[in-house]
Amino acid sequence: MSKKLLLVAASLGLALLTACAIISPEASFARTHPEKLGAGRPTCSECHGTEAVKSTQKTFAALDHTAAFVKDHKVQASQDSATCASCHAQSFCSDCHGGKTVMTPSTKLGNRPDREMPHRAGYLTMHRIEGKIDPTGCYKCHGRANNEKCSACHK
Amino acid sequence: MKHRTHVALLAVLVSGAAWGQDVSVYSTTIAQMWKSDIPGFDKTATYTPATEFLGIDANKLGTDALSLHLYGWGRTDLKDQSAIGGKTAGDLTYGYLQYAFDRANAQVKAGRFTINQGVGNEMVDGVYAYTDLLDGWNVTAFAGKPVVYKNLGNVPQASISFQRDYTFGTRLGYRIKRMGEIGLSYLQDGSTPAMDLPIPETLDFTRRQLGADLSLAPCSFIDVTGRTVFDVSRRQQAEHSTRIAESDYRVGVKIMDGLRFNGSFTDRDFLYYYTGSTLPNLFDMNERGKFKAVGGNLTWTAVANLQLVADVRRTNRDEYGTATRAGLDARYNLAAQHVLAGVGYHKVNAFNVALVDSTTPSHSLSHSEARAWVMAERGAFSASLDAIRLHYSGASTNPNLIGKSIESQLVGSVGYQANEGLKVSADLSYADTPLYKKQAMGLVRIEYRFGFAAKGGK
Ligand code: HEC
Ligand code: HEC
Ligand code: HEC
Ligand code: HEC
Ligand code: HEC
Repeated sequence: MSKKLLLVAASLGLALLTACAIISPEASFARTHPEKLGAGRPTCSECHGTEAVKSTQKTFAALDHTAAFVKDHKVQASQDSATCASCHAQSFCSDCHGGKTVMTPSTKLGNRPDREMPHRAGYLTMHRIEGKIDPTGCYKCHGRANNEKCSACHK
Repeated sequence: MKHRTHVALLAVLVSGAAWGQDVSVYSTTIAQMWKSDIPGFDKTATYTPATEFLGIDANKLGTDALSLHLYGWGRTDLKDQSAIGGKTAGDLTYGYLQYAFDRANAQVKAGRFTINQGVGNEMVDGVYAYTDLLDGWNVTAFAGKPVVYKNLGNVPQASISFQRDYTFGTRLGYRIKRMGEIGLSYLQDGSTPAMDLPIPETLDFTRRQLGADLSLAPCSFIDVTGRTVFDVSRRQQAEHSTRIAESDYRVGVKIMDGLRFNGSFTDRDFLYYYTGSTLPNLFDMNERGKFKAVGGNLTWTAVANLQLVADVRRTNRDEYGTATRAGLDARYNLAAQHVLAGVGYHKVNAFNVALVDSTTPSHSLSHSEARAWVMAERGAFSASLDAIRLHYSGASTNPNLIGKSIESQLVGSVGYQANEGLKVSADLSYADTPLYKKQAMGLVRIEYRFGFAAKGGK
């Protein structure tokens, strides 16, 4: 086991070293977004226009926080973590994506009905219907983490 | 765990403060109170958990590039025990050191962190590295021990921890000029699958997955995003199956200014999609067939302040049947008056679940959901109201609903922003549900932040 880990670490280091020669020379993104934003979901393209988000080859419109983006952000999160990180600390994501959480996001953010929650208060009743219709949608968040509470009934 | 978490958080708080300038601390303290009216449970119990969420970002540790990030929570029940497992609980959600280079977005993280790269959506105790390469390429790699959560079910905890001894993942991305990005990723979680153990076990918690993701905009009015995940473990294969765990794609079309259409397509194969579940009795790999869904929504920004979304989604769970969810949402933003409001209505036409016993041959899962909410701010004061009403069609025959077809919930909140760093709010929620009957809950929330590195979203 530890040998394997060592091997992985060594090859990772080696890969990084050889990578030095082929690393992009471009400056990193600002670690915090230079402009302070107002309340609510930002529409990037309103301020930025149609150019690409620096070196990402995507337009700002691709990251506009539309209803569709907020509901389905997995691919952008996976490809543009450096962009997301300029505005979001990981704790922002953890409200919905923590491996072990203590209350539903809708309770923690009970004063924010405008936010897009995976489910709302009192879900213990409704989940018996929605879970039956589509359990695969629950697996992302409850399949390998955040399921200690579920196992009280789902043994 | 809990003890260590608190000590770690405290240690950093103290040492972080010593670094001076560039430390931000954000804390949310939540005190709740409710009494419960679940049939069969103790009605005299009063639950009063107090929960603390604490985050610390300490930047410029010696060099501009080095920073430390911590986030965790702890809960204590002041009266009756509110959750299984004990009167106190806590967790270190993440805690890592980060070294961010000033070119190529290159960064290295070490510690506990979440990774979202291709197929890897993991919590890891280990190391992570990312960099942009020349000519549009970029590469990610991580390795370490997966964060394994204690599971209270009848799944053997020791075999979960034993099988998932280390995890490793990588993604290679390529950016196409003025088009977007495509990527290929690999994830391995655990070194020894259950069947290769000296004494083979039946439940396998390991995973080996390969993924392809894309986000492309071939012209200014069309964009496609999505991913496909393949299971590449040596686990037995179902007949005629392709080993595709998931395909999930969305196509966006800009019809005209202010009008957009999104179409989506999802296909999941239980046998591969549920690999590695720590709740295998609920997420059952052996369920016959697949889950499939197609959907579409139309977003219309009617006037600058008003957004309308019409959506429909048809899902199919082979073993049970199909369900269609359709509805409308409207969102109204009066920025000048600091008022934001929304309404929505959805109807779900779903299959019947067959035979519970001879008196209730089947029950329908059809239901409808209506919601209205409003948020307003005036100076330092804020207030919000959220009302939800559900109507279950199959209530009289569904053993999980105890004969009641209406569920209603109301959450009201008032807040006061004392100064830039301190906000206090109080919520009162009321629910009348088939399961809980009537339940009222009070909550007080104190949000405190200190420091300069305020993030846009948070
Ligand atoms: C209120 C207007 C506004 C909005 C909305 C906005 N930005 Fe910006 N953004 C700016 C300004 C101003 C700058 C600094 C000047 C520049 O680099 O264009 C900036 C800079 C950036 C940069 C460059 C940072 C660097 O490294 O120099 C990125 C990346 C960025 N924004 C991404 C986004 C994304 C993604 C969104 C939407 C989620 C967004 N912005 C929304 C105003 C805005
Ligand atoms: C320019 C800053 C900026 C960037 C860059 C940015 N966001 Fe956001 N994001 C915000 C703001 C502001 C909000 C609204 C937060 C709020 O309402 O409290 C938000 C909200 C969200 C929400 C929650 C919406 C809701 O209603 O609950 C998600 C999810 C999200 N962002 C994901 C992402 C992802 C993924 C990325 C990277 C691809 C990203 N964001 C990049 C500023 C940004
Ligand atoms: C308000 C709740 C919320 C917030 C905040 C949020 N997400 Fe999500 N996220 C979701 C939901 C709901 C889904 C499932 C969507 C679906 O069904 O495809 C999801 C899915 C994902 C997935 C796909 C996971 C998988 O295994 O398929 C990733 C990756 C992800 N989010 C990353 C992020 C990141 C990064 C952030 C912070 C910038 C974030 N999310 C913030 C609610 C949220
Ligand atoms: C984006 C992530 C996410 C998705 C997707 C998600 N959940 Fe959750 N869910 C959470 C979080 C976070 C909690 C809070 C956990 C806790 O209280 O311990 C939670 C809590 C719950 C609870 C407990 C509710 C309560 O009031 O105590 C149930 C039941 C539940 N989820 C069921 C489901 C079902 C069924 C699905 C799929 C239809 C689903 N969840 C999808 C994140 C998610
Ligand atoms: C208080 C007990 C209880 C708790 C706690 C609970 N559930 Fe359930 N759940 C049920 C019942 C009862 C059903 C309905 C079973 C049925 O009709 O077959 C159900 C059904 C489901 C289904 C549909 C199962 C299927 O295959 O059709 C899913 C998915 C689900 N629950 C997920 C969760 C998740 C995730 C959690 C934890 C976040 C959770 N549940 C917590 C009682 C509970």
